[in-house]
Amino acid sequence: MTARRVAALVPAVLVLVVALAGPWAAPGSPTSPVGGPFAPADAQHVLGTDVLGRDVLARVLVGGRTLVLQAVAATVLGSVVGLVVGTWAGATHRTRVAQVVLRVVDAVAALPALLLLLLLAAGAPGSDVAVVVAITCVSVPFSVRVVRERTAALAATDHVLAALARGDTWWERLRCDVAPGLAPVAVAEAGLRFVAATQLAATAGFLGLGAPAPAAGWGRMVRENSTGLALNPWPVVVPALLLIALAVGVAALLDHASGPAVDADRTGLRA
Amino acid sequence: MRTARWLTVRVAAHAATLTVLSAVIFWATEVLPGDAVGVLSGQDATEAERASVREALGLDRPPLQRYGAWVVDALHGDLGTSLISGRDVGEIVGDRLGTSLAVLVPAALLALLLAGALGTAAGLRPGGWLDRVLSGVTLGLVGTPDFLVATALLAAFTVGWPVLPAVALVPAGQTLWQHPDLVVLPALALALGAFGATMRLLRAEVGQVVASPYAELARLNGVRGAAYLRLVVTNAAAPAVHAFALMTAGLLGGAIVVETLFNVPGLGQELTTAVAYRDVPLVQALGLTLGAATLAVLLVGDLVTRALTPPSRSTREHP
Repeated sequence: MTARRVAALVPAVLVLVVALAGPWAAPGSPTSPVGGPFAPADAQHVLGTDVLGRDVLARVLVGGRTLVLQAVAATVLGSVVGLVVGTWAGATHRTRVAQVVLRVVDAVAALPALLLLLLLAAGAPGSDVAVVVAITCVSVPFSVRVVRERTAALAATDHVLAALARGDTWWERLRCDVAPGLAPVAVAEAGLRFVAATQLAATAGFLGLGAPAPAAGWGRMVRENSTGLALNPWPVVVPALLLIALAVGVAALLDHASGPAVDADRTGLRA
Repeated sequence: MRTARWLTVRVAAHAATLTVLSAVIFWATEVLPGDAVGVLSGQDATEAERASVREALGLDRPPLQRYGAWVVDALHGDLGTSLISGRDVGEIVGDRLGTSLAVLVPAALLALLLAGALGTAAGLRPGGWLDRVLSGVTLGLVGTPDFLVATALLAAFTVGWPVLPAVALVPAGQTLWQHPDLVVLPALALALGAFGATMRLLRAEVGQVVASPYAELARLNGVRGAAYLRLVVTNAAAPAVHAFALMTAGLLGGAIVVETLFNVPGLGQELTTAVAYRDVPLVQALGLTLGAATLAVLLVGDLVTRALTPPSRSTREHP
């Protein structure tokens, strides 16, 4: 492992640890006021207080778990759907049906992610699960595309054709001949979707979707406290830096690990 | 003749997508739990009160029938009235669209300029210092959600250097077009959030052309300066237009965040407010408008890409 990969890995892992273990380490209630609004940092409240006088450190520590869990759930769900639909579309002989499915997938991909997010949030107000479903819907097309293209390339290779001629069942061919070549691409593409999912989950919080106030969330904190930047910048700066470190860290890691196999720019996967 | 057929297929595909979107919008806003009845009758309404509201709104009819009525009305230009303000929804959408365009058009032009100029400059010398610097900067920008870019700009111009108004307060009776100073920050935020990915794509396309045998032949023959630049740019243009179309479509999504943050009274801000107040007819109309606008941008992008692609290649792609 090179020094650059370690440099990318450390902040990403740190952010994940803060997000997942944070609620256990919170120094007090994240929702009850402990002082005046936007009090600057002191010995008792290391990051000061926010717009309603709540402890910023406690809110930062509590506010990451939902976001990361939402992103993980959406990534896993998306991977399952993407792998099933993508391998089927790449390996099937019914090319016409596959074409129709791919057109539908492209159509979903064409719509603004935030539009779908807002629509589903409108149908199920205050629901964190609705945010997960929306993120899954907007990221599945990317997964299907990448998996399908890789599977189609692998299905045309000599060793898969040899297995076909040998009379192997479709399951044996999939497990022994296609899966090993597909795995690294699927992992890299899931990583990219994870980054996009954290950003969408944070944006959902920023727009006030998902669990309603007073729940803490990194995206929501940026929005709530942007008026008090001159008095106490920490409630905006700390969640922002955590989000950026996570996204850039994971993206840089994948960049080095997978090389040009999956290119986020080319496929237009952005939050 | 072939172009006409291709165009028909494309338009039909986009119309089909829009139909699917309308079904999704209808399902999300009227069939999911948080429907208009809950909003109008209030939290602690009795079952009988809710039933009477449901009947008054015609919500006791089967969903498919209501969807059909909604689509027919929308095709006749009747998008209903807002549950909150009581205004005609079509009128509200028209107003907001004009305001949104006042921010979106400058933002798209700025992003086009930034991505085009920097992407070409970086792609001409892959691995050079400019390429490395831009690669780092755009990786950071792509990794930063739009709302953080916008918040950072807002912070810089309210706390650090207060020369531009942070909140777009348009005086009554005037439009945003008459106040360019109010447009600068939202447009800049949108452009900065959008140009990174496109610039990286463009850099790759230009880099590919520069590494091609015909570009090398031109260099060896002493083609330099403007002539060489024209050779590279014209050959990278078709994929670039596709990238720009995707970017512009993406701006419509980014506008939801930026308009909300800067208080620009456009489509995006209206949509977040309508969702918060559960103003169902308004959410439906705004969703349809944003979806249709996205598809229209992509269709124009497809058309221009096709016009720029040499015919031999397009016949192979579309047999």
